[in-house]
Amino acid sequence: MPAQDRGELRIIGFLCNWCSYAGADTAGVGRLGQPTDLRIIRLPCTGRMDPLFVLKALINGADGVLVSGCHPNDCHYSEGNFYARRRLEVLKRFLPVLGFDARRFEYTWVSASEAKRWQSVVSDFTEQVHNLGAGPDLARASS
Amino acid sequence: MRIGVFVCHCGSNIADNVEVARAAQTSLLYPDVTFATDMMYTCSEAGQSGIEQAVQEHSLDGVVVAACTPKMHEPTFRRAVERAGLNRYMFEMVNIREHASWISKDKEKNTRKAQELIHMAVEKLRQNSALTPKYFEINKRVLIIGAGIAGIQAALDCAEGGLEVLLLEKESTIGGKMAKLDKTFPTVDCSSCILSPKMVDVSLHPNITLYAYSELEQLSGYVGNYQATIRRKATYVDWDKCTGCGRCMEKCPSKKARDHFNEDLTRTTAINIPFPQAIPKRAKIDANHCLKLLKDKCGICEEVCPTQAIDYNMQDELVTAEVGAVITSTGFDLFDHSKYGEYGGGRYQDVITSMQYERLLNASGPTGGAIQRPSDGKEPKKVVFVQCVGSRDKSVDRPYCSGFCCMYTAKQAILTKDHLPESESFVFYMDIRAPGKQYDEFTRRAIEEYGTRYVRGRVAQIYPYGEGLMVRGVDTLMGCQVEVEADLVVLAVGAECSKEAPALAEKLRISTDQHGFFTESHPKLRPVETNTAGIFLAGACQGPKDIPSSVGQGSAAAAKILALFSKDMLESDPQVAQVNLPRCIGCGKCIRICPFGAIQEVQDRAGQPKAEVIETVCQGCGLCEVTCPQSAIQLNHCTDNQILAEVNALCPPKTEESFE
Amino acid sequence: MDPIQELRASAREALPELDIFIGWEQGFDPLHATPAFIKDSQDMEGLIWNPLCVQNLAGYLPWLKDKKVGICVKGCDSRSVVQLLQEGLLKRENLTIFGLNCSGVLDLKKIQAQVPDAGNIQEVRFNGEQVEIFTLRETYRLQKQELLPLKCQACMYPNPVLADHTFGQEAQPANPDQGQYFDLEEFEGKSLQERLEYWQYHLERCIRCYACRNACPLCVCRDQCIAQTRNPHWLSEENNIQQNLMYQMIHAQHLAGRCTGCGECERVCPMDIPVLALKRKLSQIVQELFDYEAGLDQNAVPPLLTFQTEEKNMEPRGE
Repeated sequence: MPAQDRGELRIIGFLCNWCSYAGADTAGVGRLGQPTDLRIIRLPCTGRMDPLFVLKALINGADGVLVSGCHPNDCHYSEGNFYARRRLEVLKRFLPVLGFDARRFEYTWVSASEAKRWQSVVSDFTEQVHNLGAGPDLARASS
Repeated sequence: MRIGVFVCHCGSNIADNVEVARAAQTSLLYPDVTFATDMMYTCSEAGQSGIEQAVQEHSLDGVVVAACTPKMHEPTFRRAVERAGLNRYMFEMVNIREHASWISKDKEKNTRKAQELIHMAVEKLRQNSALTPKYFEINKRVLIIGAGIAGIQAALDCAEGGLEVLLLEKESTIGGKMAKLDKTFPTVDCSSCILSPKMVDVSLHPNITLYAYSELEQLSGYVGNYQATIRRKATYVDWDKCTGCGRCMEKCPSKKARDHFNEDLTRTTAINIPFPQAIPKRAKIDANHCLKLLKDKCGICEEVCPTQAIDYNMQDELVTAEVGAVITSTGFDLFDHSKYGEYGGGRYQDVITSMQYERLLNASGPTGGAIQRPSDGKEPKKVVFVQCVGSRDKSVDRPYCSGFCCMYTAKQAILTKDHLPESESFVFYMDIRAPGKQYDEFTRRAIEEYGTRYVRGRVAQIYPYGEGLMVRGVDTLMGCQVEVEADLVVLAVGAECSKEAPALAEKLRISTDQHGFFTESHPKLRPVETNTAGIFLAGACQGPKDIPSSVGQGSAAAAKILALFSKDMLESDPQVAQVNLPRCIGCGKCIRICPFGAIQEVQDRAGQPKAEVIETVCQGCGLCEVTCPQSAIQLNHCTDNQILAEVNALCPPKTEESFE
Repeated sequence: MDPIQELRASAREALPELDIFIGWEQGFDPLHATPAFIKDSQDMEGLIWNPLCVQNLAGYLPWLKDKKVGICVKGCDSRSVVQLLQEGLLKRENLTIFGLNCSGVLDLKKIQAQVPDAGNIQEVRFNGEQVEIFTLRETYRLQKQELLPLKCQACMYPNPVLADHTFGQEAQPANPDQGQYFDLEEFEGKSLQERLEYWQYHLERCIRCYACRNACPLCVCRDQCIAQTRNPHWLSEENNIQQNLMYQMIHAQHLAGRCTGCGECERVCPMDIPVLALKRKLSQIVQELFDYEAGLDQNAVPPLLTFQTEEKNMEPRGE
């Protein structure tokens, strides 16, 4: 994978527009250094986060997937993240059944003002994924 | 498609850490990209007209700008793209500043990141379709919840601006906390004197309908078209007939009702008018203490009322109102100091709150303005004020500063000296926060002109000592412990959110922070708006603040609404959900899950149940889309195909043969 | 009395009020039963009830929502009916449920493993715990316990949870002392790498026939299934591991909190892929997190269609 050639891994982040994306922006404004691996996809709400997107990404060869939204009780759309919390917790416990290390997928809650927290979430998760190494490559047949 | 990619230098903000020219050039490799360039400042006038020109010259039908965060300039570029003749949703913005160049200095990796993010945006744009907003009529009426000073100001400004205002107040009189104050800092003018004229204006203004002793039961609808259900609580007095003469109060035999207005320093009669300048000046019966309502005895007020206004059979009434916007100005509550066991936990009569002290100072208060110890009625010689009770204290879950206690303590110390020239006042403080105009000068006056002894240190304990109290604290500037024998202790209690705030937030669909104060849209730039269109904030419900700030916010909220209503029709956001009817199987899961009730069941021509989105109510959260097993309901501008396009751009699935 | 006689009598009695009655009858050979759709009273004679009645008939019900239907259900099938009622896909007043207390059905693949000429069976007899299979050449006497599929071995609800009439002796769970999900234990013992290889091996063989989806009683999307459409383009119909796994994931995720473990998906798979394990694992997770089992209470709300502001069984992540 191209990502591995330059020492990076393929890490996708799904961020909710109102809290976490703004939090990532605040971290940028504060020039808080982070690893460069993460690629962010913006969603209106973690309620929009279909667990199948995570599975699609991992099956297609992503090495790590991160989902971040507003803290429960603070959802801009009042309830989206409550549903997300349930769906994503089920998914997290399900990944090992397939042979994916559950640590390749994290979901968390970062608010718009939590710049430092965002910095540590990204740094810690990137390190976690690097420790696990490149993800399974399903494109080739098993031996 | 013919897509144009514009990569911004943002001066040196992006160009220092990203090879913008290279990123622009490589984007020509992506499918459907026919034009790419880099620019110094895309958001500048030159940049925007450069984009518009490129659209014309190269017949572009989609634009990608890679620059700062879309939360800053997406609307700017959408308008530019629209001016160039394209639909504003045929535009995607890539964040290579906050998310790339500002968080890493590795130019090689950042450039690669920019290239990939641009690729994702291009793939998403290829799935975009033109969206057109709809226009809907609005009801130019304002609902203001809470008639303290902020609500009163907002109501007057809206009314003067020509709008109809419906003003709700949960108590039987308007005026809020300010009506209870004796004098206000830093001018030491009489609170009632400056507030009453405004209260009277509210009652007389033809555009303002005042519903006192009423609360919001429910709010449904969307900006411009809200339906409010209001509970008008039973006062047991017909306010159309009551003249406020007060004869009922004179004759009422039940004298043990709680006197909320006087902060429980005294008791009042079951039928009462809270204070002489109350607006509306009408009586109400406290059902917990009325002998007629409890035991069917007495009935004296009914006999003596000159206008036969008493109605023991009155019930709560639910009324509906249609409004276009809502301001919530519901104020705050004071911290319950009984949590501080070391200060007596509320057991000591002579340890009172600042608001109780304010009532003692007030000439229309329970003691006629004479400062007396609640225990024995004697005049205190030594008064100790303790600041930061329930503020700046993590241990009671109140880490924030309430912002006005330093000022009101100084004021109360000054007034104490005025009332009791022989008295001595002590103030235990941590810091003095006096940021406003003439504020710091005012606190210095309390020390220098009025002789108040300011001690920098916290109070560890208050306990009964002889006939008074012993206040044990520390003087950190002297570096020693101190003990003061006090006759009266006044605790400067902090502000907390009002008890009904969390429930009201749910009804209005706005958020609160972890302390229950309503959350504004942006802490710096949008202090009176919320993220819910049509709902605005004013005053202490958004965060503790003093009177000038509350008045300022009241006017600000009114200005926002006057701007909102300056048009006759509002534009609806087309980024809403839509149902693809043939794919819908009518299972109803989306209807159940929508938090806003924006989806309803309809029948198609074959009589089969199908889902339909009420576009004006849909907020665009996307919950329905994830819930639908057939992906029949899609959120415009965030469809499954659009997100999948981005995912596939990053992680392409392996294909046997690539036909691209 | 033989439950089948009672069933036939009861069905005959109910038939005049029904538009259609669905049960099982003898299939193309003694080893196979097949669904029976009966409108005439005399056809009731053909109705059978034995451990070869494997099909979950509840799958037919959503398409007959507005008709008066009499339906035969085993324990597992009745849970499918309850689940469909919960989702509003059926109307209770249109259903007459004939519940059959079940002590397990037979896994035909296990029979075929023990009976070499399983294509040539003359007769099958049930003798208590024994199953006698008569082919032209031999007679096989097999133990019923050994022929139970995994889903019956782990079954906790052998008696219908919802029924208008019930027949047969009340049955007991086959392995009450084992944990409810003991069938997953062997799988749990595998390492991550082993699991990966396991699924890669099986999913490479998947031919995307969609039999698992078509047999599932809760898959009501039919022609609108997102596994077979380009809009939205969740996956392609290319027959490689990535796409096959994505298809299985879509099916499993759409069943999370809904699957009642009837096992039809695994039974009908022509390639013998153990797809039920995926759904069972999801059911286990849902039970751990939400104390919820699908298909038991028609008034319950599926856990993924609701939420709690404080989740009891979840550790907060970064809250």
